[in-house]
Amino acid sequence: MSLLRLEKATIRFGGLVAVNEVSFEIAPGELFGLIGPNGAGKTTCFNLITGMYRPTSGRILFKDKDIAGLPVAQIVRLGISRTFQNIRLFGSLTALDNVVVAAHLHRRANLVDALLGDPRSQADTERLRAEAMRYLSALDLQDVASARAADLPYGKQRRLEIARALATQPDLLLLDEPAAGMNPAEKEDLAGVVRRLRSEFGKTILLIEHDMRFVMGLCERIVVLDHGEMISEGPPDHVRNDPKVIEAYLGEAV
Amino acid sequence: MALRVRIASILAGLAGCWLLDALCRGLLRESEQRLVVLAGLYVTLAVSLNLINGIAGQFSIGHAAFYQIGAYTAGYLAFFYYGKLPLQGVPWLVAMLLLGMITAALAGLVVGLPSLRLRGDYLAIVTLGFGEIIRIVVQAIDLTAPTGEQVGGALGMNVEPRIRIIGLVWLFALTCIAVTRNLCKSSHGLALLSIREDEIASAAMGVQVPKMKVAAFMIGSAFAGGAGVLLAHSESFISPSMFPMDLSFIVLTMVVLGGSGSITGAVIAALTLFYVPEYLRGLKAPDGTALTATGASLLGWVAAVVAAVVVVRWLAYRYRGTARQRALGYLLTAVGVLVLGRLLGWGLSFLPALQQAEYEVQKLRMVIFAGSLIVIMLVRPEGVLGRHEFSWDRLARVLRRQRPKEATG
Ligand SMILES: Nc1ncnc2c1ncn2[C@@H]1O[C@H](COP(=O)(O)OP(=O)(O)OP(=O)(O)O)[C@@H](O)[C@H]1O
Ligand SMILES: [Mg+2]
Repeated sequence: MSLLRLEKATIRFGGLVAVNEVSFEIAPGELFGLIGPNGAGKTTCFNLITGMYRPTSGRILFKDKDIAGLPVAQIVRLGISRTFQNIRLFGSLTALDNVVVAAHLHRRANLVDALLGDPRSQADTERLRAEAMRYLSALDLQDVASARAADLPYGKQRRLEIARALATQPDLLLLDEPAAGMNPAEKEDLAGVVRRLRSEFGKTILLIEHDMRFVMGLCERIVVLDHGEMISEGPPDHVRNDPKVIEAYLGEAV
Repeated sequence: MALRVRIASILAGLAGCWLLDALCRGLLRESEQRLVVLAGLYVTLAVSLNLINGIAGQFSIGHAAFYQIGAYTAGYLAFFYYGKLPLQGVPWLVAMLLLGMITAALAGLVVGLPSLRLRGDYLAIVTLGFGEIIRIVVQAIDLTAPTGEQVGGALGMNVEPRIRIIGLVWLFALTCIAVTRNLCKSSHGLALLSIREDEIASAAMGVQVPKMKVAAFMIGSAFAGGAGVLLAHSESFISPSMFPMDLSFIVLTMVVLGGSGSITGAVIAALTLFYVPEYLRGLKAPDGTALTATGASLLGWVAAVVAAVVVVRWLAYRYRGTARQRALGYLLTAVGVLVLGRLLGWGLSFLPALQQAEYEVQKLRMVIFAGSLIVIMLVRPEGVLGRHEFSWDRLARVLRRQRPKEATG
């Protein structure tokens, strides 16, 4: 059984077909890569899966339920969470509070309890805080818990994005260029983190990345997009040697 | 433990309001008591607008409309039903308070809905328009009393019964503060703040953005409506001219000046902005005549303040020194302003044209008021308190001369 299945997912922006009849399947527990040159439609795929865009045609099945066009917040509840390519943290909140916002999805107290300052609501918030702290620690961010997100260095902001996405407790985690702008040592670190997300947290992971070495070394299966079309799919060794992929990257070392 | 703190704070709040009530009754004249009531209502308005504007980040500038809706709910209901129901005095007021809050919350729902589609300036225009519509509609509704006399409309209407209870007004303000603060301390409050920070990311983390926005609008409006009910019964008279657009702007100024998002800031700014003009109004020379100032001394003070603003901005944004040196700089600037103001005034007094011009300070009070706002926004654009809050813990730490535990990293 597949966790996520795209069936001829298509979206048009005016004359531009940003994603054209893309179909692939991700099994539970897989570490799946999505690559392609700039403007290929990778982020747009994420936006389709997370409900930010509604597909022009095609279906997106998550746990065998068609989720195309559901509200964003609803899709998170079903178990998909993401990070953003252009970091979108809650800048003036602390790192911890950024994660608490995501953990808020699993609150027990309701709004009225919160307004009345009910002890149940207070205990609930404390519980979410403790949980958020766990996710921060998992990404080695416990030391900056009370720093403002906007004040964090770039690499930590990227990791905080992951901690925040993790706190919604998704089954499927979408990472949009998590290693962008990192140096080789940081990338190595991050690869370890991503592997642990699967082994320790049991997440299925779909990740977009430009760094070929990073993707090839990490992912078990890869889909390649170019101009919105899916041009190749398979394990890294297959994709690496696919003439279409080599052509798309026009001589770049693949 | 938490429960004990809760009960203690509620009792302290009740006792504080009762004490305030007793003191004001004992010590203040009727007209001064009225000011204490109005101050409480302004605090409620500012704190409730802060919830919508500062915390949820929805730029609403028609807050007076909800205040007016509360007041007119009380007014119309009194007109039609007061004396016909077995409810009088304070129980009637409490019933009106609840009804006024509900009506205003429903209006908040109506205004909150556009906020789901509109952002920033567009939303501001919608809320502003809504405020004006309410005022004009109310102005157009004339009622005929059983005596045949016309009431309502532009003339305004009497509201029965007249009840002015300082303690109750302030209890309501405290409730508004407590509710907002409770919210801010919960994960629900963080969810609201996340909407202010980045709506798209907020939804992507599972926050039900539409529901939370509308909730913020409804809660904020409900408290403004309650304040309107208290105003109507305290003044025992309401008219559309009591809810002009300026009122919305003054409340908005209180929120921004105190520091958008800070409850403590909203309270302090509300009290200050309310009392400063009143204080200037009452300013008299020692011999009881109107206080006057010469053109020379006024110009001297203005020049000194402008110089001080430049210096303070330099200290705050450019100066690279320790916090202690900077604090010393601020102190010197404060002293410098006093000296420079006098000195310049003295110097300018040699110009006959400036020395002979005399102005009544009272008449200049709104100019002074507006000028101070400009100065504060230049010196501290994020508002007096920024996003900080008063907390007993921090106070205790300061008193014990401990430094707060800073984040490492
Ligand atoms: N909302 C939109 N309206 C119009 N065009 C869009 C929109 N979103 C994306 N596009 C277009 O769709 C194409 C694919 O964009 P997308 O962001 O998915 O690329 P990408 O593969 O993520 O590229 P990169 O590697 O640069 O992040 C681009 O040509 C982009 O301009
Ligand atoms: Mg992209």
